[in-house]
Amino acid sequence: MVYFINDIITGALIGLLYALVAMGFVVIYRASKVFNFAQGELVIIGGFIVWFTTMQLGLSLWLSIPLSLVLAGLVGYLIERIFLTKLIGESVFSMVMVTVGLLILLRGVVLLLFGASVRPFPIIFPLKPLLLGDMLIPMNLLIGGIITIVAAVGLSWFFNWTRSGLRMTAVAEDHVVAASMGISVKGSIAFAWILGAILSTIGAMIFLSGKSLTFLASDIGFAALPVALFAGLESIGGLVLAGIIIGVIQSLTTNYLDPIIGGSLGSVVPYIIMLAILLIRPTGLFGWRTIERV
Amino acid sequence: MDPSGIFPTSYRADRRLVRTRWQAVCLALFLVVMLAMPYLVSGRIIAVLNMMLISAVIAVGLQICTGYAGQINLGQAAFMGVGAYTASILASKTGLTFLLTIPLAGFAAALFGFLFGLTATRIKGFYLALTTLAAQFIFHFAVLNLPSSWLGGSNGVTVPAAEIFGLRFVTETQQFYMNLAVAAIMIAGAFGIIRSRFGRAFIAVRDDDVAAGIMGINVAATKANAFLIGAFYAGVGGALWAYMIRFVGVDQFTLFHSIFFVAMIIVGGMGSIVGALVGVFVIRTIQEVIATVGPNIADSASFLGGDIVFAGMNVILGGVIALFMILEPKGVMHRWNILKSSYRIWPFPY
Repeated sequence: MVYFINDIITGALIGLLYALVAMGFVVIYRASKVFNFAQGELVIIGGFIVWFTTMQLGLSLWLSIPLSLVLAGLVGYLIERIFLTKLIGESVFSMVMVTVGLLILLRGVVLLLFGASVRPFPIIFPLKPLLLGDMLIPMNLLIGGIITIVAAVGLSWFFNWTRSGLRMTAVAEDHVVAASMGISVKGSIAFAWILGAILSTIGAMIFLSGKSLTFLASDIGFAALPVALFAGLESIGGLVLAGIIIGVIQSLTTNYLDPIIGGSLGSVVPYIIMLAILLIRPTGLFGWRTIERV
Repeated sequence: MDPSGIFPTSYRADRRLVRTRWQAVCLALFLVVMLAMPYLVSGRIIAVLNMMLISAVIAVGLQICTGYAGQINLGQAAFMGVGAYTASILASKTGLTFLLTIPLAGFAAALFGFLFGLTATRIKGFYLALTTLAAQFIFHFAVLNLPSSWLGGSNGVTVPAAEIFGLRFVTETQQFYMNLAVAAIMIAGAFGIIRSRFGRAFIAVRDDDVAAGIMGINVAATKANAFLIGAFYAGVGGALWAYMIRFVGVDQFTLFHSIFFVAMIIVGGMGSIVGALVGVFVIRTIQEVIATVGPNIADSASFLGGDIVFAGMNVILGGVIALFMILEPKGVMHRWNILKSSYRIWPFPY
């Protein structure tokens, strides 16, 4: 029973990590109507920036973390300036394809600059797990979960209650209408990408803390996709619930179903959930009901 | 547009693919050169041409699905994989001739594609891209986790050589003729599909699905059909791939390969069969050049990471996709058509 509860808690915390990465998707979507396929690449770029500032430059964590976040924001801004500003008002297809192009472009750049070798990632959160009776809770995931919840509450307040947040919401509804109401579409998209890159970097710190860093870590971007869809692409608060549900289901599948069938069903369960959501309720749990159904 | 003085006087004439004598000459010349290729160039180039022919089949399928019917498809490599696995299992376990396994591979892939095409009847845009992405992951999972006696798991499957009347297609030249024949049939078929009522329905659905529905086109069936046809092409291409490489493994059909195919049709031009062929030629040539010069660059520029071929390929392809989307979303064929029509109406500006 203790193990069962432990699995549920660990699953929920991993789900919260997915939710944090998915928050990068949602923030970019929520403020620019661009669905960013290259989210996982932003996570490894964030990871490499953190690795570079701590391990290469040798800065202390108190200095390197803020510096990494600033640098990540700068990368996000550059990507937006080079690729996305030019596509304002273009079709969904163009936007999706540019982020797909970015997906392999950024992976190539990371491979060129850093190579495929495995690097140690700095220990940002204490390695010692939290012991609750017989239960083991990884410290990085626990702190990460708290960060996720705080970020979700903060960002959902920002997007739903502040004036600038509502402006960005208008941009996500329609670029042309928003622009004609005097809202800066460019500014909104730039902000979205800066925020998306920063959230990805925080996700990278939690995910990789004390582990090793390779470009394969970008898979977490695709792992976070189902969470973003389950919550509905517009809902930031909903990510927390969706993340916990998917994380728990995945953890239980891995621990109880996989030994029976002898395969890794756990890694594919999120995508099966995603397909089911797309078929049954494409808006997700809390998304806006604006998806055109055919 | 037609050159000055050419006016179709019947519907048949208006539907013709080869419209002028000069085009007929060019087409015949092209086919003759292709047939004579093994006598003109060395073995390495034949190997590259084989890759191009197989990619052409798959990219033309994607062109029908994405370029003509407007359904975003990021799972073309998975559909190709389904075809490749079907062909290799049929060939190695039942010993069927390739004349049967290649079409059967196409049908198996078409069925798989149709299942995901069904989701296209409910959702569109990038939501659709997500389901095709899920197809990619589920294919990967299925191959790796089904009992390894079925699909070979992570070890892959070895494929016997294609064989007919005691003639085995082993050398690159023999495979070249096999690939050329299949590619010619498939591409001619694609022109036929595009000219038929299905092709017109695809274009109508792509341009405006509400209007298409009002005109009496069954939008849902048309979208599912587009996936069916696109996946059939991918399956046939996959079968050819299996017979060429003689080994099928799950790593040959990743999301990256799907993106390569998307890059081909974007570079060539959406909504043009010839564009897909041009795109295949451009992308495969770039790939070959990088594979050739990559190791030299890696030697001279040691500060760059080790896996320079794969990395460089990603950088260039990603850059190409982004650049074309930003600068010329209609692709190379669009530019060519502008050039052609301005040549034909010269000296008048329009």
